[in-house]
Amino acid sequence: MAKRKSRTLEKAETAAVLSDSDRRTLQALHELAQKVVQSAAVGRSPYLDIPSRTLSNVRFNKTKRIIEMGSGTSRRELFNLSQAKAYMQTLLVASGAKRLIEQGKTTSLRGLYYMLKHTIKGTSEETFDDQSESDSMIEDVEVLLNALREELHLYAKTQGVMVGPITIIDNGDEIDCSRMGSGGYGIPSIVEPDRIQFRDCKAEFVLHVEKDTVWQRFNEDKFWLKHNCILTHGGGQPPRGVRRLLYRLHYELGLPIYCVLDNDPWGYYIYSVIKQGSINLAYESKRMAIPEVRFLGLRSSDFERCGLSPSVQIKLSEQDIKRAKQIANYPWFANKRAWQKEIELMLKNGFKLEVEALISKDISYVTEEYVPSRLAEGDFLD
Amino acid sequence: MSDSQNGSAGQTRRRVTAHTMAAQQREISVSEFFTKNKHLLGFDNPRKALLTTVKEAVDNSLDACEEAGIVPEIWVKISEVQPGRYRVSVQDNGPGIVKKQIPLIFGKLLYGSKFHRLRMSRGQQGIGISAAGMNGWITTGVPVKIISKTGPDKPAHYFEIQINTQLNRPEIRNGSGEGVDIPPGEKGLRYMEEHGIEWVAHYDVEEPGQPPVELASGTRVTIELAAKYQRGRGSVDEYIELTAIANPHVTIHYEDPEGQRRTYRRATTQLPPEPKEIKPHPYGVELGTLVTMLSRSKEKTLRQFLTQSFSRVTPSAAKEICQKAKLSIRAVPRELRSDAAEALYRAIQETRLKAPATDCVAPIGEELLLKGLRQVLPGEFYCAATRPPAVYRGNPFIIEVALAYGGGGTVEKITLELLRELLAQTDARTLRQFLLTTFDGVGPDAVERILKEARFGSRQVPSKLKPRDVERLYEAMKNVNVSESQTIQILRFANRVPLQFKQRDCAITEAVINTNWRTYGLNQSRGSLPTGPVSLMVHVASVWVPFTSESKEAIASYPEIQRELRLALQAVGRKLGLYLNRRKRVQLEGQRRNIFLRYLGEVADAVSQINGSDRQQLYEQLLKVAKRKTSDADLKFDERGRTLDPAEFGDHVVVVESSPEELFTDSRAAG
Repeated sequence: MAKRKSRTLEKAETAAVLSDSDRRTLQALHELAQKVVQSAAVGRSPYLDIPSRTLSNVRFNKTKRIIEMGSGTSRRELFNLSQAKAYMQTLLVASGAKRLIEQGKTTSLRGLYYMLKHTIKGTSEETFDDQSESDSMIEDVEVLLNALREELHLYAKTQGVMVGPITIIDNGDEIDCSRMGSGGYGIPSIVEPDRIQFRDCKAEFVLHVEKDTVWQRFNEDKFWLKHNCILTHGGGQPPRGVRRLLYRLHYELGLPIYCVLDNDPWGYYIYSVIKQGSINLAYESKRMAIPEVRFLGLRSSDFERCGLSPSVQIKLSEQDIKRAKQIANYPWFANKRAWQKEIELMLKNGFKLEVEALISKDISYVTEEYVPSRLAEGDFLD
Repeated sequence: MSDSQNGSAGQTRRRVTAHTMAAQQREISVSEFFTKNKHLLGFDNPRKALLTTVKEAVDNSLDACEEAGIVPEIWVKISEVQPGRYRVSVQDNGPGIVKKQIPLIFGKLLYGSKFHRLRMSRGQQGIGISAAGMNGWITTGVPVKIISKTGPDKPAHYFEIQINTQLNRPEIRNGSGEGVDIPPGEKGLRYMEEHGIEWVAHYDVEEPGQPPVELASGTRVTIELAAKYQRGRGSVDEYIELTAIANPHVTIHYEDPEGQRRTYRRATTQLPPEPKEIKPHPYGVELGTLVTMLSRSKEKTLRQFLTQSFSRVTPSAAKEICQKAKLSIRAVPRELRSDAAEALYRAIQETRLKAPATDCVAPIGEELLLKGLRQVLPGEFYCAATRPPAVYRGNPFIIEVALAYGGGGTVEKITLELLRELLAQTDARTLRQFLLTTFDGVGPDAVERILKEARFGSRQVPSKLKPRDVERLYEAMKNVNVSESQTIQILRFANRVPLQFKQRDCAITEAVINTNWRTYGLNQSRGSLPTGPVSLMVHVASVWVPFTSESKEAIASYPEIQRELRLALQAVGRKLGLYLNRRKRVQLEGQRRNIFLRYLGEVADAVSQINGSDRQQLYEQLLKVAKRKTSDADLKFDERGRTLDPAEFGDHVVVVESSPEELFTDSRAAG
């Protein structure tokens, strides 16, 4: 019943204007469906060859200095017990994307999850048990169609924030990012040029910090005003919108990017993602990775250099140690002596440091002392 | 040393003299001995007394019918005379008993035809039915009533008998010590009605409109005794059911104290072959017995004695024995001294003799085992194995095993009313104990789960349950799937007689535990019975079944018997394993298909939405692929809807037809 209804709705709204990328995506979707029809017609088990998003299938491109996805694929078959459900889910996501594109609408990842979630006829089983299932299928469809998430008319929830002397046009609205009060401008999930255009940029560089607390400190101290820069944070691991925006700021406006992240394996990995791209989204590296980004702090030597009190040390856990060694072995870190020393020192210290640790010295130590002197000295890791 | 001892002995006061002791020494009558040792005969408690009484009467009836070549039909009726006192009546269509013998058979202990011969029969010692009568007389003071008829036109003899326990002698109470003769025909029936004598005169009318067939002959014995009627494990109900399983040629009409009537119809009219009587085999004779036999022998020479008193001793074998014992073959057996007897005994053991003839043991046979089992127990798979005859201590015996898989246990079959009744009757102190002792195949594990489901503590007292609690218990018993965790049910039989007690001490149980059932697809922890919805029937047939005690409740564990038991259990185990394996594969394949089918609709929907293709056509094409991919699930469901081809299992296997859907629902419930 519900299905028939949605189909009539669809017809009523197919009038939406299709962009070129929409047409391209629809064509890819159509081919995907066509393959199922063809294998069914000749009595073969339909399958999908999905480029695999694993460490074993990524390659570090030394010349481009980004992570690229390899040619490895994993086959997902309908008539394989352990894959049948995933196969069905993949096609559901594809049909959901088709509906969105035709209707000219976008929805969040969670929205699509609810759109596709229903009880399978004649059973008590749900098509998706939770959102993580549909999220991972969306990524599969992206690599499968070689289409970006936004081309599927999907977006993630807003997570990063920006402030600084720049004016942008977001969906036609002019936004002055130097007049954003204490909250800042929320970076949307889709920041493609057709959505967001840059105007009037007076900033000289971008300072990216890990989390909200540190960002608030910098904003309150009007760091961006004093140093004439754009200030962003990504709420931990930066979402794609933030990474894509940093990429555009760097390549379109030529702004250098500096990161202030925690001195722990997690902070290292965030840096690595911004710099070379993530393993999971290796196919996005070419439009998100910024090999020229620099790591400003915190450094393993900062405990002594800044004369911090021992109470801010956090003991490394077993897992931290394991993760640190793993990161040190990533090909894009393996040949960097400075980084090897950095990680070695942290392991030798036996503790990690969060950016907030600097507050123990003085509330504005990080904005007035630490970052300015690092910038002045030009002391950062590549 | 010895002096001082003598001295001190001389100083102690003499309490009795040889003369005073002699005055107290007298013969103990057998009856008196058994009055004091009732437990040896199975009358130790009121509940068991009722069972033993029914059992002895039914066993006697069946033996009598079979010996006379009559297809047995038995009527059992139990009624409550007053609280704690029951009347048991058992009638058969056997040959009847001649007038002179009736008082002796029912009123004298150790009187019978079975003790002195080696022949396969249900009863062995001939103490059973008279002991039951004596027990009745002692506990109620009501004499045993016997009515017996030897032919259609012969009068029926009616006796009321009690046993003089001092003298082991019957005393007839009616007809001024002579009993009463009731004439045949209408007149006799009227007489019986007037005097309140019960007698089933006609068989059931099988097809309406036909005249009832009169019983040509038969015997009915009625015993009133102090007893307790209780259902569940070790009950009369269970005994009747088990007897019906092991005796598929018998029809039993059973009326319980609540007036419920049940009839177990025979599955065949073919009587078991008549067992032959044999002479003892020398290997089975003990030294003491040998000495007695020698002293009583009438043969003139030792060779004659050996060849004629034993089976399988040829003249040349006798000669060999004599040579080994360093005795002359012409020695007079009566005159042999005890050391000569001992030499002879040893010589016998050392001489190679042919195993005894085994045609004296009649097995039930695989065919009838399966029939009997199917008649009474519901299930989905049955198989049976009868071993060739073997010998222990010179006694031939045969082991038979039959197995039923599937079907609900007693817990699932129970009704709310029956549960209420059982709870009212039980003397178990806790609910846990009640569940464990009342129901077959419910292990501690299943009990825990039932109690948990019903949210009862393990110390809940059964008598304190409120009506709503009982309903909750009932629901829990229905809901909990005990079949996977229930211990298997073992039905033990010796010469077709069910053994209902002392399961733990029995060689059969030992053999089942020692068999590795995990190989055959059942769960089993070390040193315990396997679990699963299995009923295992084990029958030991022999001219002399070695019981561990006089109450004949458990079989002694001889190595030869253990070996045969093991081989028989393995034979049915292999077949069960084969079946379970196939069943599992079919189920798995079915589950696989189910999973595919579940997603096909969604896939077809999604695809047709994307490219506007014909949903129905696509669905059907995918369905075809799915069916081909899981074709194994079909292979085993052939045109007749059978899950498996029984021929694959070899002989003596029955697979009950069930649809694939049932298997699926089954598996889903289990998963």
